[in-house]
Amino acid sequence: MNKFLRTLIPFDIAKGMAITGKHFCKVFFTANRRKVPFHIVSEYPEVVAKVQPRYRGRLTLLKDEQGEIKCVCCLACEKICPTQVITIEKGKKEGRKMPYPVRYDFEMERCIFCEFCVESCGFDSIILNHQFELATYNREDFSLGMEGLSQNMFEPSPVGKFSVADD
Amino acid sequence: MFKNEEMEINLGPQHPSTHGVLRVKLRLDGETITHCKPVIGYLHRGVEKICENQTFFQGQVWTDRMDYCSAVANNLGWAEANEKLFGITVPRRAQYIRTLLNEFNRLASHLIWLATHALDIGAMTVFLYAFREREDILDMNEAFCGSRLTTTAFRIGGLREDLPPGFEKMARKFLAKFPTCLEEYENLLSENRIWKKRTVGVAMLSAEDAIALGVTGPVLRAAGVPYDIRKAFPYAAYAEMDFEVPTQTAADTYARYLVRMAEMRQSARIIQQCLDGMPEGPVMAKIPKILKPEVNEVYHATEAPKGEIGYYLVGEKGSTNPYRFHVRAPGFINLQSLPKMAEGGLIADIVAAIGTLDIVLGEIDR
Ligand code: SF4
Ligand code: SF4
Repeated sequence: MNKFLRTLIPFDIAKGMAITGKHFCKVFFTANRRKVPFHIVSEYPEVVAKVQPRYRGRLTLLKDEQGEIKCVCCLACEKICPTQVITIEKGKKEGRKMPYPVRYDFEMERCIFCEFCVESCGFDSIILNHQFELATYNREDFSLGMEGLSQNMFEPSPVGKFSVADD
Repeated sequence: MFKNEEMEINLGPQHPSTHGVLRVKLRLDGETITHCKPVIGYLHRGVEKICENQTFFQGQVWTDRMDYCSAVANNLGWAEANEKLFGITVPRRAQYIRTLLNEFNRLASHLIWLATHALDIGAMTVFLYAFREREDILDMNEAFCGSRLTTTAFRIGGLREDLPPGFEKMARKFLAKFPTCLEEYENLLSENRIWKKRTVGVAMLSAEDAIALGVTGPVLRAAGVPYDIRKAFPYAAYAEMDFEVPTQTAADTYARYLVRMAEMRQSARIIQQCLDGMPEGPVMAKIPKILKPEVNEVYHATEAPKGEIGYYLVGEKGSTNPYRFHVRAPGFINLQSLPKMAEGGLIADIVAAIGTLDIVLGEIDR
């Protein structure tokens, strides 16, 4: 009898609907209010997405205070990279004792953003920045180097080229 | 007048409810499945071979990309297998942090299972709610190691960095609200008549069959076998944790659902203990710069969210690469039980059977 009643009156469905309704009301009455500091869904392209301080983004070469490239071509990063995307050519520069990278090529399309290169660098000369909007239309744009056309390895952390937040 | 014939159809490889690129060849008699054969290999990348050509240190990034829903658990197995090979002892604080992150990952993996499994069967709401909670866990992953899915969280010998400031607050905040969320899911599903009709008595797999097929994880525990590597062969800091291994005896899809829900509660308990009892100290052991193995081979099994994930490593003397590397992937071995579950059932129930196995094709094909 009890079971028959439970089948007849859909308590289970009502229970589920109550939860959905609760959430619906919560969102309905709080959406677009200034006072509510937090929404579950972020309006990403319009609102710039926040990343954590340790976020692993695009590889960037660093310069010291004099504007000199910090890298001394120890090739540790080239060796440790699991996908072999870094190519470095050693060279010399006038007035600098340490070797100087003539070429520092970075094929971003194969980079897996593991941060092993940064970890292996004993001179703190590279970091992974916080940039994550890395898509481009041409394959060539993924090949970054010391002197590039549109992007290069020194740009500190530009917002992606195709972000809505840019305009 | 009518011919009586069996019909052969393909499920997948591009089908939303096969959780990836799984193809299942089905032979049907009316709506009853008479023959079922999973076809795999669409996502084969040769992870094992790639790892043999890379150093022990580099290999970890490939374990992220096997089971991408539980990357941290895969990392843990890899790191511990290597530590066994090199005879490294990991500091206690690192063990605790590993346990903590591993349990968070179990929650994330189970949540994604719940979300997609419910979505397959027709419950859309749970999908959205479960992803809401999973998002917080991914944020914590990002705070700890900088990446959300492909974490590369651990290093051989410990961790790269300590927990970031503010992590504990995030974790505690999540733990405070998680039990209510679990109740929400249970209120939506446990009693629901449609959910029960689709899961109770569907895709049965008895304990004998499960053991014979080598099935591990929640699928085995739902058949009444209390086998959990965290209890049977404790690793990381699990020996010091107080938790239970939930089991059910019904061995159907509903029982697996109950087991996984209970497991999430236990995971939350373990996380609480980790946070409360977190010891101080270093997080990285002293290890040589270039790792060269002394022992020849190791097999190390850990309990991933999907079952037993085992790493088999053979080291060569004087070489920095593994000579042979093999993964015992839980998804691959659990998938073998799909014909047993599906044959004799209705075609609509194969979706439930695939969902309840909680497979990830990245791990099956490797
Ligand atoms: S992040 Fe990883 S894959 Fe990318 S360049 Fe550095 S080492 Fe190579
Ligand atoms: S490891 Fe650092 S210093 Fe060495 S080559 Fe790479 S970037 Fe330069």
